[in-house]
Amino acid sequence: MHKTRSLNRTSPVDIMARTGKWIYLIFFLILTILPLIWLIISSFKTNYEFETQPFALPVVWQIQNYIKAFQMANLGRLFLNSVIVAICTTAFNTLVASMAAFAISRENFRFKNGLLTIILSGVLIPIIALMVPYFKIVSGLGLYDTLPGLIITYSAINIPISVFLIHGFMSTIPKELEEAAIIDGCSFTQRYTRIVLPLSIPGLVTSGTFVFIYCWNEFTYAMLLTSSEASRTLQLGIRFFRSQFVTDYTSMLAAIVITMVPTIFVYIFMHNRIISGMTSGAVKG
Amino acid sequence: MRVNKNWKQIILFLLPALILFGVYFIYPLGFVIVTSFSKWNGISAPVFHGFKNYIELFQDETFRLSMRNNIVWALVLGFVQIPLAAVMAMILARKPKGWKFFRTAYFLPNVISQVALAMMWLAIYNAEFGILNNLLEMMGFEGLTRNWLGNMDTAFPAVLVQQVFYIGYFMVVILASRMGIPDSYYEAAEIDGANVFQQEFYITLPMLKPILITTMTLALAYGMRHFESTYLMTNGGPAHSTSVMGILLYRNLGALNYGESNAIGAILIVFGGATIALIRWLFSRNLDADDGIQ
Repeated sequence: MHKTRSLNRTSPVDIMARTGKWIYLIFFLILTILPLIWLIISSFKTNYEFETQPFALPVVWQIQNYIKAFQMANLGRLFLNSVIVAICTTAFNTLVASMAAFAISRENFRFKNGLLTIILSGVLIPIIALMVPYFKIVSGLGLYDTLPGLIITYSAINIPISVFLIHGFMSTIPKELEEAAIIDGCSFTQRYTRIVLPLSIPGLVTSGTFVFIYCWNEFTYAMLLTSSEASRTLQLGIRFFRSQFVTDYTSMLAAIVITMVPTIFVYIFMHNRIISGMTSGAVKG
Repeated sequence: MRVNKNWKQIILFLLPALILFGVYFIYPLGFVIVTSFSKWNGISAPVFHGFKNYIELFQDETFRLSMRNNIVWALVLGFVQIPLAAVMAMILARKPKGWKFFRTAYFLPNVISQVALAMMWLAIYNAEFGILNNLLEMMGFEGLTRNWLGNMDTAFPAVLVQQVFYIGYFMVVILASRMGIPDSYYEAAEIDGANVFQQEFYITLPMLKPILITTMTLALAYGMRHFESTYLMTNGGPAHSTSVMGILLYRNLGALNYGESNAIGAILIVFGGATIALIRWLFSRNLDADDGIQ
């Protein structure tokens, strides 16, 4: 065994494999990460530096680009809107999805599997095809151009994925724990609040992370369902305030970096959960 | 089956999710399909006129071009992005130095919004100060510099390239499947003298077939409904060369042509469903025969 390995290591095929491997790894690293690093460095430059020396480091790191970004685009208000929408949607969606997932995973009733299949097949529907009905529904509820309109819409869009993730997690919790609790006189609701929910926290956190990132980054429906600054989110802000930044490009880059910070932050702390959530079969089917 | 004694609570617990799902998935699906057969401005009542919207759409050159572009998107994502992601998964599964760092880095763009990525690439492709042109000049290829997104010949490939190398999402899914293949298979092959390429071709590929079909199906479906990054970077221009069906749907909505909008929506839904069904059907026999790692 040891011998074959050392033999293989020096064969031309192996040298080719190793060289190719590193070229491939570094090629993709350059494409995915280098533009982001360039963006962040450029956001600290003066406009003159940005246009004349695109690859150099800034002589003085222009922190005021970030201050200007906040002042010019009323970014504070948009940032607050995004935070409200993302947090409320995550909480509401997690509550609704976990209740449904609890009933489906812990109880037996007719149509239970059919119901689960129908809900999960929601992930296959192209949401952009539903622009007209969503616009009509949200307007009809009197929620056009309001934050609750976005919160309800995002909560609903994410029901299939969060029911899938939470149901998958709850199914792994042994039933014996609940049986003991039933003997002790636990009601249906108490089994949910006192036993299954606390044990499902890792699953809830995974699902919540997905929903939070979705809400923070969502653009199409934020554009369709809002029109005033009072209810617009950050993503729309950086898209539509481009004209205000026409003479100050690097401040716009600073605004873009500001919108990326929260999800990158979440990703740094939660990447194991995000990756395990995806591999638990976010696409199994 | 006996009626569950907790049936009242079960219904109560299911109700909020069912209401949201019904209002946002089931009702809109029926709504889109029914009103796609009507002329409707969203204010007065819809007037039904059969297949007129569909006939007009398929006669419209811009729509046909947009549909063709969506098909190109589907093929590029399914048959270029998935193979790229699969090769990366094969490399990372052998745990080269720093593989966890690479995995984290390649997935990073997936947590950043399409708006931020599109704005970043607008700056990269920019004709005057974009780094792509700067880079080409530095390397002595002044002749190649151009207005990448403003040029009929380069705009569509430029928008495709922006997305196709973000392989993180599919790579992570395929990698998880690849990690499920026992090491002993590869050790046995190595003793028999198989080199790494042969091992990947004769062990990994057949074992990964189910997940490759699943991810490919998803990638094709995503391509058929592609909208956001194109809308953000070119809005379909120049001269409709990058247009996709979603952009026409959104424009018709803005022009209060709700009937046409919903006809495009119905086409998106049917095409998406047909893509998924076709792939399933094509591979269903093979899937049953193989015991792949799912």
